[in-house]
Order: sequence, then structure tokens, then C-alpha cells
Amino acid sequence: MEWRDIVTVLAGGVVILVIALVVKPAFLAEMVSGPGPVKPYYVPPAPIPTATPFPDDDPVYTQSFRWTAIDGGVYTTDVRVPEALFDEHRETPRFDTLAWGRYALDEGDRPILEDLARRIAPPTTNPEKEYFRLMDLIFFVQQIPYALDSSTESYREGVLPRYAVRRGTDVEYPKYPAETLIDGKGDCEDSAILMAGLLDALGYDTVLLEYRDHMALGIRMDEFNPYYAKYTPKYFTHKGKHYYHVEGTDFVWVNVSADSPARLGKPGPIGDTGSTAGTPTIIPLRYTPAPAEYRIHQVRLPAGGG
Amino acid sequence: MDLKLPEVNIDRKDLLMAVLAVAAVVLIAFCGWTLYADHTEADRITEFSLHVLDSEADLFLLSCEITSHMESRRDYPLIAEYDAWMQKLGALADYGRDLTHYHRYVIAADGVPEPYAGAQDAYVRALDNLNRAFSLWSSGAGAYDAKAYSAADASFAGADQAWKEYITAIGDYHQELLRAEEGEG
Repeated sequence: MEWRDIVTVLAGGVVILVIALVVKPAFLAEMVSGPGPVKPYYVPPAPIPTATPFPDDDPVYTQSFRWTAIDGGVYTTDVRVPEALFDEHRETPRFDTLAWGRYALDEGDRPILEDLARRIAPPTTNPEKEYFRLMDLIFFVQQIPYALDSSTESYREGVLPRYAVRRGTDVEYPKYPAETLIDGKGDCEDSAILMAGLLDALGYDTVLLEYRDHMALGIRMDEFNPYYAKYTPKYFTHKGKHYYHVEGTDFVWVNVSADSPARLGKPGPIGDTGSTAGTPTIIPLRYTPAPAEYRIHQVRLPAGGG
Repeated sequence: MDLKLPEVNIDRKDLLMAVLAVAAVVLIAFCGWTLYADHTEADRITEFSLHVLDSEADLFLLSCEITSHMESRRDYPLIAEYDAWMQKLGALADYGRDLTHYHRYVIAADGVPEPYAGAQDAYVRALDNLNRAFSLWSSGAGAYDAKAYSAADASFAGADQAWKEYITAIGDYHQELLRAEEGEG
């Protein structure tokens, strides 16, 4: 054996080492990981387009309301709603109950409600008159004729809307305020939604009170206990605030006397639940579902590496 | 039959060189194996550590975005304002879901030494839970957009549960890591 034979053996050993330490790990790593997923990047959402207001000269539906105010005066109020807005509402699928506040706060209906609220309850600088403004709005809504969702009379077209939800023999179709106003009729949830929209336009904090077979409005007040009330005003607490029960549909017409055709309106006052019993589910107009847990915890890195 | 072993005449010099060659081969093999074993073990831990570092760096940036977004939520927002808020939450959720999926894939593929397998499993489990939470956020944002608030509530409740499981897995990861490092020491 010559020295060059030893050199050959040593060179072979070095080649084996290189293969073991460099080539094989690199090759294996490629085999294990393969092409794999690509690292993602954050894509910010596209801005939500804002609704275009309806032009003033667009065709409108009109509805006239004759109603009695808290001072006993009888008024006539006309409401005009762009046909396009009304038709758009009719062609919108109905929402989950927790989202019904969206009807009351709809951007398209807002200018109509602000205008109507100003006409029914004109702004005043006298704080003592604020209660009358509030009651006039409540009375106005309470005097809108009642009609069940299942009745075709509840709709200006005389037929059930496409998105009316049938539940056995019953029908559910919560209306946008503009729909209730143009139909000129509605049931308990329609009145509660319309009242909520009008009161929100005046700056009141309201919620929807969902009973088992009924819906009413809850209006936030710190304390409401008038001396003349022959009942204990009923309120429900939500996030530490008191919301007093307000009926949307209990305005009852009564004859002045048995001999007279003249009638008086008997409004449903704040806090009077009447025949409504039970504890309602409180649905804020601005219902904001969100996760509670969101904090990512930083971890310690392994220290055993080279 | 008379068997006779052939007579081998080996030169002393040749014998010495042969012995030296064999000793050299054994020495190279021994050193090579020792180097290889040490090198790959340390390498694998380092690789795992780098992948966790990369994952944590990305999650940290995402966490800052999420925290700032969550803290921007007001009590009585306008509907349009909350729609936009929820849309961004959905976008963050989609990114978080894809990001955790990516890091989970990379870290699960790491061939860590046996003592670190527990830490690796726990970290992968943490990423899985975070991935599930982000997926549920994304579903919740989608349900909100469809005005299905009850479904959105259900998704966010599920996400909160997944988030708690993520926190548990992070605790397990720290314990397993400590165990692996104490074992090494």
C-alpha cells in the first residue's frame, strides 16, 4: 500500500462527510417541506360605498295621517316617501330579530323620520315642553291602524310581500319605518320600530322589547314616576340603564257617551304594560356583536439551539 | 489431502500503513458521526426556534392591529360605522386564519429532537386553536353582514372558547419547553 492509497481513502471519507452533513439534510428538508403554503399578507377591506340620496324630484308615495295630540288638538300630517326607497325595502330580505334595530335606523329612512319628527314634535327651547314632544310622537304612532302581518290589508299593494316569512298559519314581516308609514298600517313590531326610529331622530335612547308574542318599545329614562299615574311604571334594566315600557299599538278609541258618535282617544302611557306580561328580551337598536377574547400571548423561544 | 496455507509475506512498512489507514478511517467515521449527530440536533432546535420566532413576529404585528381595532369600538356607534368596523374585523380574521395556517404548516414540519416534541405539539395546538378562533371570527363577520346577528353571536361565542383553548395550549408550550431545556441541562 502506498501513501496515495491512504489519500484516496481519506478523500472518500471527506466525500461521505460532505454528503452526510450538507447534501442529505438539504435534500431531506426539501422532501419534507415540499412547496408548502405561501406566507399570506393582510388585505385591507374595500371601503363600503355610501348610499346615494334620492333626488327630490323622484316619484313619491304619499300617506295622510289624522291624529290627536296630547293637548287634544287634531292634526293632519302627510308623509312622502320616494317610491324607489319603498320598493327597495320591499325587495330586501328580512333580518334576524336581533338585527331589527337596523330597520329603525335605516339611512334611507332617516331624513324622512327626522322631517316627520320635527313636524309632529317641533323643537322647543322650553325644557318643560320636552315631555309633550315625546308624548306627541308616541301618540302619533299609537294611532296608526293595527293590521296583522298575515292580512293583505297591511300592505299598499294588497298582497303579501315577497319576503314575508310564513310560520304555519302565521306570517312575519317586520317593516322599515317608511313601509309602515306608506302602508298606513302595521302590527306591534312595526309600531315599535317606527317609534324607535322617530325617537332616535329626536335623540332618545331606545331599545326594542321582545315579549313572547308581542313587541314594544323601551325608552331610557332615569326616573319616571308621575304623581297622576295609577300604575307603577314598568322598566327593564339593560347595561345599568332603565328602559320604560311603551306600547306602540294600544291607543284605544272610546265613545264619549253611549248616545254620542264622538270618540276620545285613550293613549297608552309610558311604563304601562297593560295586559302584557313577562320579561322581554332587550334588543338594542345598535346591536353590536363582537368577540370578547382577542389578546395574543407572546411566547418564549426555545433556548436549546446552537 | 494435505492443505497448506499460502505463505504471506507482508512487509512491515505495508502492514504499518494498512493499520494507519484503518485507524484513520475509524477516526474519521467516529468524528464525522459525532459531528453529524451534534450538528443536526442543535440545527433542528435552532430551526424550530427560528420558525417560532417568525410566527411570533407575525402574530405580534397582527396582535397590535387587533388590539387597536378592538379598542376603537364605541358603545353607541352609527350603523354604517359598525358595519365598517365589522368588515375590518373580518379582514383581520381572514389574514389571521391564513397566517396561523401557514405557520402551523411550517412548524409542524420541523423535525425537532425528542425532548422538544412536546413543546412543538403544544405550539402547533395553540396555532390550531387560534386558526379556529379566526375562522369563527370570519364566519361571525359574514353572519353580521347578512344581518344574521344570532348566528354572529354564536360564532363569536365559539371563537371565545377556541381562544381560551389557545391560551391553555400556550401554557402547555411553556411547560414543555421548560421540561425539554431542564432535561438538556
